[in-house]
Order: sequence, then structure tokens, then C-alpha cells
Amino acid sequence: MENKSVVVQMPSSPNNEGRSLIQNNKKWTSIFNRNSEWRGKIWIYGSAIFVILSVIAITLFLTVQGLRSFVVDHINVIDFITGTEWYPDRAENPSYGALPFIFGSLMVTILAAMLAAPFAIGSALFMTELAPKWGQKVLQPVIEILVGIPSVVYGFIGLSVIVPFMRDHVGGSGFSLLSGALVVGVMILPTITSISADAVRAVSNDLRSASYALGATKWQTIYRVVLPAAKSTLITAIVLGMARAFGEALAVQMVIGNARNLPNAISDPSATLTTIITLSMGHSTAGSVLNDVLWSLGLILLIISYGFILLIRFISRRGQVS
Amino acid sequence: MNQVYIKQNVEESHQNMKKASPVLEVKDLNIYYGDHHAVKHINMPIEEKSITALIGPSGCGKSTFLRTINRMNDLIHGARSEGEILYGGINLLTSKVDVVQLRKEIGMVFQRPNPFPKSIYENLVLSLKFSGIRDKKKLKDIAEDCLRKAALWDEVKDRLDKSALSLSGGQQQRLCIARALALKPKVLLLDEPSSALDPVSSSKIEELLLKLKEEYTIVIVTHNMQQAARIADKTAFFYQGELVEYGDTSQMFSHPAEKRTEDYISGRFG
Ligand SMILES: Nc1ncnc2c1ncn2[C@@H]1O[C@H](COP(=O)(O)OP(=O)(O)OP(=O)(O)O)[C@@H](O)[C@H]1O
Ligand SMILES: [Mg+2]
Repeated sequence: MENKSVVVQMPSSPNNEGRSLIQNNKKWTSIFNRNSEWRGKIWIYGSAIFVILSVIAITLFLTVQGLRSFVVDHINVIDFITGTEWYPDRAENPSYGALPFIFGSLMVTILAAMLAAPFAIGSALFMTELAPKWGQKVLQPVIEILVGIPSVVYGFIGLSVIVPFMRDHVGGSGFSLLSGALVVGVMILPTITSISADAVRAVSNDLRSASYALGATKWQTIYRVVLPAAKSTLITAIVLGMARAFGEALAVQMVIGNARNLPNAISDPSATLTTIITLSMGHSTAGSVLNDVLWSLGLILLIISYGFILLIRFISRRGQVS
Repeated sequence: MNQVYIKQNVEESHQNMKKASPVLEVKDLNIYYGDHHAVKHINMPIEEKSITALIGPSGCGKSTFLRTINRMNDLIHGARSEGEILYGGINLLTSKVDVVQLRKEIGMVFQRPNPFPKSIYENLVLSLKFSGIRDKKKLKDIAEDCLRKAALWDEVKDRLDKSALSLSGGQQQRLCIARALALKPKVLLLDEPSSALDPVSSSKIEELLLKLKEEYTIVIVTHNMQQAARIADKTAFFYQGELVEYGDTSQMFSHPAEKRTEDYISGRFG
């Protein structure tokens, strides 16, 4: 009876014709059949459920752990978010002010996006509008290579090139918010570039023709027609780059200086949520207050990352309507 | 007039222009895509303030010919043209011609409506902004004028700031015509402007073209024989890249000189 469950595709004789229309493979046992729909379904649904469950599990775990410092250790949430003093390991009167790190993370992210976006969109336009052949052959592989370089390499280059450069030309130790933003800016450059290039390529040639037929020059066409038409995807590209910058730890940690107070200028050393977590993680024991506040920092990181995702959703939804 | 669009002084202009003075005079025009000879030895005038229809089976080179007139074919990689298209005695195909200026004098409307994803108003004034016109009042006046000419004003006057994509296909195409009028071109090239539209929108466009020909010279590619018969003064029949027959529309449709023309018009091929 199992071997009846084949999807019959070719009726063997004319008076068999109608039968081929009857679905035979609805039974779960047909999972043992090579051509069964069930196998595919189980695999696809299974993966989807697995992904969703892992996201929920991570979120829940982080939430529970992150709330411990407020619930178990009775740290005030407002003080935690707005405080500027971070001395969790001080024996008497420890203080847990995470604002410098929240600020540092946001500043690195925004500065990196501001530095990277113009270059990224410029190169995207170059490789799509100006020199498609050359861009396809040379720039595209370069960008793929940039994506593949591990962040420790970026950090190392930052440490040995950017930091001394900053020290000589901007002053201070050279370890600073700006150095961090520069390194991360280069790291997110390929992300923004490749999504932007896709966005520009997706602009219909009909619009370009319309523009040229109205006596537009190439630059006018790019600036007044192509870029506006691609706008929402370009913004998405930048926000995605920012999301990546926001989560980067290692490379930033190597050049930012890891100071625990609020910086007065972008040339001052600073720290970010991710860098303080990676730095302090090693010498905290599970269940200790220090460990709990690090989880709380992680929770803030997660919430802001979700914010980025919501922002992207919002932008792309709006892009579709207009 | 056509003053400005030559970058440098051109050699002696061709004086031997006839009295009937066509706006455009095509002389031994050949167009190639790489090795492919798409348009062969075309000779024909295009008369002022009249409608010239280009007909012929698919792939015979109508669009190619049309795009060459305002040098839109320059944008296609590998396309090149030989011969002359004279416009007021100036050969449009030489490299001395300022194509940007040329396209402002010879406008174009495409087969698929292609409004910019911007407001209706922005669609109309963008070309003026390209030309450096900034005066708000002037932009508004021109926009209204163009919409009236394109018989679209009454339908959209209350929603000029709405997206052009919110218009119906037929309205979008009329907007594209209005947009092409903003720069006050001499000649309007239309490549199957109503083939993507329903019969009602299509006949609106025909009415519109009949009205516009009082002011503009119109060249239209069409696959619709009735449309050509209804609106065109002159008709040119293309076949496999050659101009088989050119003449008065009524003449061509009643007494075609060539067998191939007759076969095509009566629907025997194509
Ligand atoms: N971009 C291009 N690159 C190469 N060859 C082309 C290109 N556009 C057109 N051709 C060729 O030139 C010839 C004429 O094409 P064209 O588009 O001018 O025909 P058409 O008369 O407008 O046809 P249709 O009625 O289908 O629009 C065809 O053989 C076509 O294959
Ligand atoms: Mg065509």
C-alpha cells in the first residue's frame, strides 16, 4: 500500500487518466518516498520554526538575565541608563552608570555612517552608472574582499595606522571615538556599497530614458531621478550598515581607548556597549552584580538593535507605498 | 527657432531647402547595432505641424529610426548612424550637436508610460529645473498650461501634489505627453504611445495629438492601422529596415503603390 503513494504523472492507459488527478501522497507515511511533498515540507517548516525559536530563546534569555540587576540587585533602571559613573567593581559605593557606553555606541555608529555613506553611495553610483563594466570587474571583487576581512584585521590596521595618525595630527593619545568610527566606517563601507548598488540597479531604465529625453545631463539624471527613485533602499542600506557598526566590538575595542567616562570631544577616548562587555566579561563571575550589569548592557544592545530593524521595516514599507 | 544647440559654428549650412520646408529632412540614413544593419538608406521629409505615422511589422526599425532623430540611440551601446537628418539645415547626427539641447527641442514619449515616482507637479517641472528655471510662478504657469494642452488639467488640478503613480495608465501617458511639452519642443516623437492603453484612453490620446499638431510637428510609431489612418497626414511604411513607401495617408491606405504595403495594411502579414 505504501508504494501506491507515488505521484502518478503519466497515465499508463487512457482509461486510467482520471486517476492521475487524485492526490495520493497526503499520508505522512509517504515521507519515506523520495518524491514526497512531505520531506520538503518538513525540512522547510522545520528550519523556519527552528530560526524563530532561537530568536525567541535568545531574546527571552537576555531579557531574564538583563533584568536581574534591576530585580535581584535593586539597581535603579533610570540611574543605570542616565548615570555617567561606571565603577561596578568598587568595594564601597559602587556605581553603575551606563550612559557613556550608550553614548559611545551611538556616536561610533552615527559617525561611521556619516563617514561611510557618501563614499559607499558614490562608489555604488560609479559601479552602476558611470563604469558598469569596470565597476563590475574591479570594484565588485574589491568590495567582496572587504566584506571577507576579519574584524581583528581591521582593528589591527586601525591600531597601527589610524591611531598614530590621529596622535600626530589631532592630538591626544590617538585612541578615540573618531578612530573607532573611522575603523568601523571602513568596515561597513562594503555593506552599504553593495546594497546601494543593488538599489541603483533596480531603478527602471524607463526612468533614465525619460530623464534623458527631457534634456537632462547624466549628472542631472543621477541626482534628480535615479537617487530619489532609489532613496528608500539607500536609507535601508545605511541603516543596515549602522546596525552592523553598532554591534561591532573587537575592532572598536582596539582603537577607541576604552575610557569609562563620557568623552568631551570626538578626539577623546571612549567606550561602547560592546567593548565594555567584551573587556569586563573575563573577570566577572556568574551571578555577581558585575555579571548582571553586563547582561543589562547586552539587553540594551539588543533593544537598540531591534530598533534598527523596526526602522528598516518602516522605511521599506514607506518606500513601497509612494 | 533652432539657434543655440550647435556648440561651434558649423560649416556652410545647406541652403537648398525646398519651399514646403519640412522641419526634418532625412537623407540616406543608415543605422547599425554593431554589425547589424537595422535601418537602411532612409530618405524622407517630416513636415511641419503635421502628423507623420511610421508603420511596419515588428523589428523593422521604426523605434530605432525614431530614437535616432533625438539621438536617444546614442545611449545604446554599439549603436551608430550614418547619413543625415537635417533640422533647419543642420545635420543632427554630427558630434558637434549638443544632444542635451537637441532633446529639449525634439521631445519624446515612450511606449510604456514612464512618469517619475514623484508628484504630478514635479513630473511637469523637472525638465524646466534641468534647464535652470527656478521662478515658482513661472513653473506653475507652465505646468498648468501643459496639463491643459494634454487635456489632463480637469482631472488632476486638485491633486498636483499627489504621486504621479497614483494616476491610471492612460492618465500617466497623457502626463508624459504634458511633461514633454513643458520645454516647448518643436517636434514630438511618440513610440507606440497608446499601445499599452485601453481603447478609451487611446482615443483620448488620438484627439490630443490632433489638437497638438496645430502647434507641434508629430512623428508617431504605431501598430494600429486604424489609428494611423485616423490621425496621420503622412505615413511611412517600413519593412526590414527599409522605407518601402512614404506618402499622404489617405493615398497610401486607398491606393498603396507597393504590393508589400498593401499586404501589410490589409493585415496579410506583420
Ligand atoms: N538595443 C538594441 N541592440 C541591438 N539591436 C537592437 C536594439 N534595439 C533594436 N535592435 C534591432 O534593430 C532592429 C529594429 O528594431 P526596432 O526596435 O527599431 O524595431 P521596431 O520596428 O520598433 O519593432 P517593434 O514594432 O516591435 O517595436 C531589430 O532587428 C532589433 O533586433
Ligand atoms: Mg518599437
